[in-house]
Amino acid sequence: MPALFFLIPLIGVITLNLPFRKLMKKTAFWFAAVLFIFQIVLVSSHRTSFWGTGLVQGSFFNVNFYVDHLTLIMLFSISIVSLASLLVARAMISDENKRFNFINLLITAAIGMNGIVMVKDIFSLYVFLEVAAVSAFIMITINKDKPALEGAFKYILLSAIATIMMLSSIGLLLLIAGDTSFGAISAAISSSPQSMLVKLAMAIFLCGLFIKGGLIPFHGWLPDAYSAAAAPASVLLAGIVTKVSGIYTLIRIVTSLFGFTPAVSKVLLLIGAASIVIGAFAALGQKDLKRMLAYSSISQVGYIIIGFGTGSVLGVTGAVFHLFNHAIFKSLLFVNAAAVEKEAGTVDMDRLGGLSQTMPITGTTSAIAFLSTSGIPPLAGFWSKVIIIIALWQAGYIAYAAVAVLTSVLTAAYLITMQRKAFFGNIAPGLERTKEAPLAICVASIILAAVTVGVGVFFPFVFNNFIMPVKEILIK
Amino acid sequence: MEANNIQLFSIFGIFIVMLFIAGLYCILMTRNMMRALIGLEILTKAVTVLLILAGYVTGNMAFAQSIVITLIIIEVVVIAITAGVILSIYRHTNSLDRSTIRDLKG
Repeated sequence: MPALFFLIPLIGVITLNLPFRKLMKKTAFWFAAVLFIFQIVLVSSHRTSFWGTGLVQGSFFNVNFYVDHLTLIMLFSISIVSLASLLVARAMISDENKRFNFINLLITAAIGMNGIVMVKDIFSLYVFLEVAAVSAFIMITINKDKPALEGAFKYILLSAIATIMMLSSIGLLLLIAGDTSFGAISAAISSSPQSMLVKLAMAIFLCGLFIKGGLIPFHGWLPDAYSAAAAPASVLLAGIVTKVSGIYTLIRIVTSLFGFTPAVSKVLLLIGAASIVIGAFAALGQKDLKRMLAYSSISQVGYIIIGFGTGSVLGVTGAVFHLFNHAIFKSLLFVNAAAVEKEAGTVDMDRLGGLSQTMPITGTTSAIAFLSTSGIPPLAGFWSKVIIIIALWQAGYIAYAAVAVLTSVLTAAYLITMQRKAFFGNIAPGLERTKEAPLAICVASIILAAVTVGVGVFFPFVFNNFIMPVKEILIK
Repeated sequence: MEANNIQLFSIFGIFIVMLFIAGLYCILMTRNMMRALIGLEILTKAVTVLLILAGYVTGNMAFAQSIVITLIIIEVVVIAITAGVILSIYRHTNSLDRSTIRDLKG
């Protein structure tokens, strides 16, 4: 059954590209919208007979698919962020051919990401990573303007180096285990944990994932790609692509292959803390709205990594919860940036101002998103940050907990600056005639804001039913 | 591993490391985007040889073969798209120099 998440979009993409292009161009948007809504519905009703009870396994052409609670959360985030990106694309890309191509690529990227979260085989994981990454490369450059091409070139170069590192690690693991499935590799690693070859493979693989996720020493490509990308592509890229291909993969690989050794924990905590602090300070000095959000993204991903680095049940669940929340509120902020870009024609914060008066929905949802990001109760971002900080304290990493708390203040500082410059105060000269963003963008921002508020208010229900069962990934 | 395999492994190992160094040198030292792409190709070739070697040493040739064929297909797609991006940059700037695309900063 889980193979359907991968087969239905695949058949859909093929059908959309058969002859009758004229008809298909009209139906493509609705097909993709129905597809993503269907995925949201199926995932949120995961106790029904479609899924059976507990863990679900299935296989398709020898590729084993496997669904657990972590996968369910990721499938939900993928579909909701893709839906937001689709709605933004409808409003932002005016040329019909380009929009049709974009929708096809969006569905392909969704296939890739659904594959990444469901496979139990390290080589299939690589294949789906490339599917998602390649569609993202083309989506960034959909308008073929010079900054986007520059950002895409940097992204392609570093992403290719990252996949080459992962592949060399796969080669070494194949040498150790003789197979590429998670089970065989994890058995081979636990039978000889001190081998130099295992340590080398682990180090190379983790470096590749840090590049993919844009963590601090390897973050060079991320602000360029996010800020230069076409608006709907930046929603998808910032919201989910880097999170699935970097952070989810990191969580999955460490828990089911390498296990938490003290060295891994130390590296994760150090890189997480560095990302939190440097990302926040870099965000403070930005003038470009999208670039500031990109640095803020690095900082928030640092929270996920630092929480995951504790290795305790509370830390890992908090990290997964923050991963989900971050996907929602960061894509909301990028949707708002797209609305500002469309209506005001610029994302330079010095030239913006008072947009709340003319764009009330965008202003309000942006306020919700920034409050959630900086961790103000009762919004979703507060709970996940609190869980991560408590987990750090309990595990005895008091210095790291202090870093996390203090940088949270910094997060609030740069986001309040953003909100004040762009949305509050007197309206900037030349922007008096701006009007509310198109309906599609408003719908996307309202859906995402509703999820943020809903998850925050009904936190105990969501946490006990959806997030807490994730701890099963720690038990092999 | 048998003695024969260990000898083979060391010979191929040195060759793979040399390919890696050549590819990295190519990417880091050049300012031409096309050459950076060729460097990526060399790195991918090194990985391909590593996978074949791993399959041979563990006696899993059929599996390694299927992996390598998949890898080659994906590699072609990535290279085609990268070349397309470089072509578009060339149309904007009339140059293949990496230093002409330094607009994004901060």
